[in-house]
Amino acid sequence: MRRQLVPLALAVMLALAACSGSSPSAKPSQLTLYNDKGAWTPFFNQVGQLSRKDLGLGLKPVGYSDEPTYQATITASFRTNVKPDLFTWSTGGRLGEIVGAGGVSDTSALWQDGIRNGDLSAALQSYYTIGGKQYCVPLNISYWVMFYNKHVFDQYGLAPPTTWAGLVQLAATLKSHGVTPFYQTSVLFSFIWFEQLVAGTDPQLYDDLSTGRASYTDARVVAIMKQWKQLIDAGYMSDPGSKIDPAVQLKSGQVAMASFGTWFSTSMTQQQMRPGVDYGFFVIPNVSPALPKTSMVFESGPLCVENRAAHLDSSMQFLKWWLQTPAQTTWANSRGDVSANPKVKIPDPAVNTLNGDAGSGRYQLINRYFEAAPPPVLNAALDAFGGFMVDTNSYPQALSTIQKAADDYWATHKR
Amino acid sequence: MTASGVTAAGRWRRFRAATGSRTRRPGAGVWALPAVALVAVLLYMPFLWTVFLSLTRFDGLGTPAFVGLKNYADFLHDPVAPTALRNTLLWVAGALVLPVGLGLLVAALTSDLRHGTLYRLPFVLPYAFSGAGVAVVWGYIFQPHGAANAVLSLLGLPGGHTSLLLYGPGNTIALILASAWQQVGVNSLLFVVGLQSLPREPLEAARLDGAGELQLFRYVTWPLLRPLASVVIGLALVASLKTFDVVWVMTQGGPGNSSETLAVTMYKQTFVANSYGYGSAIAVLLTVVTGLATISYLRWQVRSR
Repeated sequence: MRRQLVPLALAVMLALAACSGSSPSAKPSQLTLYNDKGAWTPFFNQVGQLSRKDLGLGLKPVGYSDEPTYQATITASFRTNVKPDLFTWSTGGRLGEIVGAGGVSDTSALWQDGIRNGDLSAALQSYYTIGGKQYCVPLNISYWVMFYNKHVFDQYGLAPPTTWAGLVQLAATLKSHGVTPFYQTSVLFSFIWFEQLVAGTDPQLYDDLSTGRASYTDARVVAIMKQWKQLIDAGYMSDPGSKIDPAVQLKSGQVAMASFGTWFSTSMTQQQMRPGVDYGFFVIPNVSPALPKTSMVFESGPLCVENRAAHLDSSMQFLKWWLQTPAQTTWANSRGDVSANPKVKIPDPAVNTLNGDAGSGRYQLINRYFEAAPPPVLNAALDAFGGFMVDTNSYPQALSTIQKAADDYWATHKR
Repeated sequence: MTASGVTAAGRWRRFRAATGSRTRRPGAGVWALPAVALVAVLLYMPFLWTVFLSLTRFDGLGTPAFVGLKNYADFLHDPVAPTALRNTLLWVAGALVLPVGLGLLVAALTSDLRHGTLYRLPFVLPYAFSGAGVAVVWGYIFQPHGAANAVLSLLGLPGGHTSLLLYGPGNTIALILASAWQQVGVNSLLFVVGLQSLPREPLEAARLDGAGELQLFRYVTWPLLRPLASVVIGLALVASLKTFDVVWVMTQGGPGNSSETLAVTMYKQTFVANSYGYGSAIAVLLTVVTGLATISYLRWQVRSR
């Protein structure tokens, strides 16, 4: 009888072991930081060294490079006891989803203190506000500009343009010299040119598309798609299926320009490109010269804590520390990008100037399409734009497909 | 108790008598319990959960909302469905022609050769690599202005200036070629094992009767090899219907949806679009299609023997 019970007992013990979670400790020696920025591990480690010194809390980054896997991991963590202490996410509809599910800690108090101390800009608050409360804090902010290879520009006597017509003329000149003017990709960032063309033509239309008040089959959107088609058909865009890193393409002069957030500076410096010497960037001029302000796309990625995190107090303590100048100085300088803390400067003067100008009233900040569009519409759009890049005559079908996803979404959501 | 019940009881007694004392051990069921529990927990429960999710609307957060068969109906009207089905069928056809056909060819040509193992080695080695690794390498070969374009241009063949992964259904054919490169070797190994274990007498008798090599293969070797070929083809059929890793790593089903297979559509809907209910419905459909295809194939094989 005893022999018969052994396997049964083993099975029960295994089941119990599988079901038991780790018990929360009073104060951990380090916090796990799940993120979808696997390439940023060295930068997270630099901040972790400082937080260990300042708070007695190290940082263990768990980086993912595949976005769907990362999202599935985080959403699954809301239903299990295996939770990250800290995690990165995106603002807009995706933040709304996880806040709506009741999984994210309220950070309103941190925002109030941060704005009062000058560690946070009040302009950022709306991107983190849902139902009157703030959730998460800024992991990073970035402005979307056009990076260019200075050596290529110098070789052909070119200067950053100040008008859209000037940008198109510049592309024609580069093309005539056998240089592909612009980078594009059909994977993930397939929305970049659509976003730029709509925001630079009609920012209100961009806003209306994002909030379901305008249709993707609207004649104004069709006209913009035709404009995009002209740029591709003229041979101004790189091959969308290339597997070569855009930073490598820009460094080699294979393409002369690439539109990215200022975080792309990190990729440039990793390629041993020096800011102001080997590469530069300029704000992309409006398509429509009549607009009073230049539309500049902006993104801010959040750093969040689940409200049932194992080390909730320590995690919130870390977020408070994260917003302050010492942490932000290390963080911004490690990546060479803008800090969400207005007091923090980095060595690249062009980035500092841009950050200062962004709040000067010259620019109309446009929430990046990735965050502005509801997730199901974004997913349909990413595929549709990717397909359009290889078959530019397919723009009517592309717009219909996106509009169908928008119709489905807005049928069950408030516009 | 019916007559059939009596018959069943009689059968059971005969079975017990034939299998001896082992089945009379009262602890056997308990010993089997952990294995049964593992299979139930790790295979059957997730499947049942997937079937349940397929009847709901669920975004991975909150609570699934029951919607009946709506997800299945939606799939019938999904504009991506015909493309995914077409590509999946291309994969099935491609898997049968290339990995199985070439595997058989390599085996037939090398099984009787001295140092045949050495000739087969280049075909077998890729099987040791991971599918994702193979896909990354072939992604670079097939990328615009990549190695494949350079070779085609050098040989003056068409396609030298075409981006091989950008346009459907050509991109699916390129993906099938990449996958075949890895799969040919293992199939050739299986066929070699089969060829080398065939009885020699019928082959020698046919040779004495003056059969040529092609006749020998057509009328003697192939019929003797058919039981093994059935297994190889069956495995290839199931693997092709489930194709995911090579497609996901090389094109992510794009550009647009041009290279999606049913398995990729399932993954994208579930984990990219967070439509867990719809993705589960596609998973169930894929399971049903794979099951039906396998059963039909095996029944056909049994009948034709």
